[in-house]
Amino acid sequence: MGVQDTLFRSSDMSLVQLYVATEIGREVVSALGELGNIQFRDLNSDTNAFQRTFTKEIRRLDNVERQLRFFATQMEKAGVTVRPIPRNENVTAAPSAHEIDDLADRCDQLEKRVSELNESHETLQKRWVELIEWRAVLREAGSVFEHAYGQVEEIRQTGEDDDTAPLLDNDVEQSVHQGGEQQSFSVMNIGFIAGAISRDRINAFERILWRTLRGNLYMNQSEMADKIADPQTGEEVDKNVFVIFAHGKEIVSKIRKISESLGADLYQVDEDANNRRDQILEVNQRIEDLNSVLQNTKLTLKAELRMIAAQLASWMVVVKKEKAVYEALNKFNYDQARKVLVAEGWCPKSGLPLVQHTLREVNARAGLQMPSIINELQTNKTPPTHFKTNRFTVAFQGIINAYGTAKYQEVNPGLQTLVTFPFLFAVMFGDLGHGFFLVLAAVLMILNEKHLDGRKIQEIFDMAYYGRYLMLMMGIFSLFTGLIYNDIFSKPLFIFPSMWEYSVPEDWKQGMKVTAHRIEGYTYPFGVDWKWHSAENNLLFTNSYKMKLSIILGWAHMTYSLCNVYINAKFFRKPIDIWGNFLPSMLFMQSIFGYLVITIIYKWSVNWQASGAQPPSILNMLINMFLSPGNITDRLYAGQEVVQTILIMIAAVCIPWLLLSKPLYLRWENKKHRALGYRGLGEHSRVSALDDEGRDSADGNGHTLGRGSADYDGTAVALVAEDIDGEEEEEEFDFGEEMIHQIIHTIEFCLNCISHTASYLRLWALSLAHAQLSQVMWNMTLANGFAKSGAVGVIMVVVTFYMWFNLTIGVLVIMEGTGAMLHSLRLAWVESMSKYFVGEGIPFEPFSFELLLEEE
Amino acid sequence: MANGWSVIIGLVVCALIAGAGYIFAPKGENQTVWRSSILLTVACTYIMWALTLLAQLNPLVAPSASNFRKEYIE
Repeated sequence: MGVQDTLFRSSDMSLVQLYVATEIGREVVSALGELGNIQFRDLNSDTNAFQRTFTKEIRRLDNVERQLRFFATQMEKAGVTVRPIPRNENVTAAPSAHEIDDLADRCDQLEKRVSELNESHETLQKRWVELIEWRAVLREAGSVFEHAYGQVEEIRQTGEDDDTAPLLDNDVEQSVHQGGEQQSFSVMNIGFIAGAISRDRINAFERILWRTLRGNLYMNQSEMADKIADPQTGEEVDKNVFVIFAHGKEIVSKIRKISESLGADLYQVDEDANNRRDQILEVNQRIEDLNSVLQNTKLTLKAELRMIAAQLASWMVVVKKEKAVYEALNKFNYDQARKVLVAEGWCPKSGLPLVQHTLREVNARAGLQMPSIINELQTNKTPPTHFKTNRFTVAFQGIINAYGTAKYQEVNPGLQTLVTFPFLFAVMFGDLGHGFFLVLAAVLMILNEKHLDGRKIQEIFDMAYYGRYLMLMMGIFSLFTGLIYNDIFSKPLFIFPSMWEYSVPEDWKQGMKVTAHRIEGYTYPFGVDWKWHSAENNLLFTNSYKMKLSIILGWAHMTYSLCNVYINAKFFRKPIDIWGNFLPSMLFMQSIFGYLVITIIYKWSVNWQASGAQPPSILNMLINMFLSPGNITDRLYAGQEVVQTILIMIAAVCIPWLLLSKPLYLRWENKKHRALGYRGLGEHSRVSALDDEGRDSADGNGHTLGRGSADYDGTAVALVAEDIDGEEEEEEFDFGEEMIHQIIHTIEFCLNCISHTASYLRLWALSLAHAQLSQVMWNMTLANGFAKSGAVGVIMVVVTFYMWFNLTIGVLVIMEGTGAMLHSLRLAWVESMSKYFVGEGIPFEPFSFELLLEEE
Repeated sequence: MANGWSVIIGLVVCALIAGAGYIFAPKGENQTVWRSSILLTVACTYIMWALTLLAQLNPLVAPSASNFRKEYIE
């Protein structure tokens, strides 16, 4: 099979049918997934996800995946890091089904164990929190009680003596009454409640209590110093400890209810100081015990998780691959009679031998008698578009794919983009110094490919890394255009002797204007003469030069692109596209813009000074050519009227030619076919060798198993009736539609010829702007530094260099570079690709583990 | 050194380079990429160079300046 995939067209694809023994279905698909060049078609599209053969397996794998994710979250909580898969280690799919079973069992056990540990940790934690709170409450209550007893005395006194007693002298009395305080609460019939509540609820709590009890309470609260972790959510909460005294049992029970409903935890506190002390001691003891148990549980959990962490990543990969395998298997048909799985899929023709080899290998490994068979089918379905890219071309192809997927086997713009994109970029970015930075960055990334590949660092950097070869090309071309423009950081290079010479007059004074004269017979051989750099009328020259340059480059780019119409027409065997589309388009464009380019070059090559004639303006000439054909005001060459009139006539003829020839031809052809009794392909059933097959598919059960086995007996090429999906029908010829399409195309093409040519003037504008900006940057910074001398000069140079360098990198290279890249992108997408690119292809999405894992 | 003929000579040289590039492009699956890139690169660089030369071949304006330093004049 001598098929070689090139970037010029998408790969030759073939629809293949696989027959695989059921026993090794899993192994075969897994091997094909590693290979990654078959896109399986769904043969069970009318059955939903639940009715498919391997739903059970997928469910089970889903469960394992969930368990693995559960471990991952647990690890995150416990602060255990997952060991990543070493980059050069390739995790293969599980070699056999029972290894997956083992993995599933193991995950089940581990999950149970981890949840158990979690649960016990949680209960222990809860208990621990309670104890901590209790201790805090006990302490708080203690101080309150001691405080309160004094007040009891005082309350009594205030009741007896009137309000004149001082409020704050209870400290003195406290010591006095210590002996007789024990009986005081019961005597006064005062009950109390102690507990803890989260701090943000304390205000509401207080208010509710106050309102419901009408102020008949005494509440004492204080903030707990440490945050308390909620065992359920793991969040840290601030809590307050409170002790409430109230009069009467009913009120106390009411308070209890309110506090419980607000989520406060109430604790038993003994009234007696000695008992309380015992309580605190006991609580402390229990906290200590719990602490050690908690620590132990935590350590065990961590050890367990650490063990899992070592393998989690590779398990995840194995499970994902396994799941993908079953999902692919679900797309297959199952031939019950022959115990065979039937699969259909697209595969690049160049990859077929590899697929065959893989099948044989898997078969040999399994030691099966029945061979796996691969059949190429003939079909009139549109194959998916697949381009084989490599490290270098992938970013360029990415540019094209971002615009649209090429139609199957049409000319791929990616190939020309390899050069035209960076070149047009460089025309706008022409500076040797800036180009050097680009090359440097690209080379650094390319040299470190080994370390950087497949790693995600930061979004913008990843993007630059993806386009590193693009950047390299852009940089190299910028070096070239920089040499042509003779710009290095806005300064010229003096490579060759200048073609200009200043001869200063005798009476020269400072500030007098001097015009250079040319050295006869000598032209600056490479790039722009450096004398222009210091000239005051520099812009006068570069303006005209760069404008004409961009027009000519644009014309070349568009003409080149338009030629692809011819190549496409020839390849798809549509001669009408050559002489109904390509020829008039080309003639139209060349008779106007080709002529423009020729006159520009002609005007350059004539020595106007020697001939003494006035050089005509090209722009006026072009305008006059349309406004008054046959009238020449400023003559460029002899016989100009005739040439221009003929060209105008050609262009004028091309418009109706382009407009009418193709639709009329198609109508004539269609009529001729109908007269011969042919019908459109879509009007009948699809290509089918055997009549009953055609009927089969018409019944709606497209891929019957009977047919699958009928094809099975060794014929190299099987003919298959496709399922009739209405959308893929070939449309019947409709003259009106064709005509409208062509009208739009004609108008678009003629207008675009003008607007697109004008659009290339962006090359001129951006390259001028870039040159000017870098000059301004130099003058504002480093030029000032160099202007000073002595110590100040040294410092100034350092400072201004710092500024200049940063601005150059940030503004001129990165910002301007991005801008120029976007403009170049537009030129590729709009100005060039609109000329020939159809882009109605279906992207090739192979079943590939590599792609699957990359997606994450 | 360089005059109008340079453009023609340059074209011949570039055509030779392009032809050599086409013939000696590395064989293998990337041959198309090599060939297309070499040809296009030669074409692009030639056009740019030739146009720049042509633009200066018969210049209609000459550079002029008034900011000479005295040392330069003498």
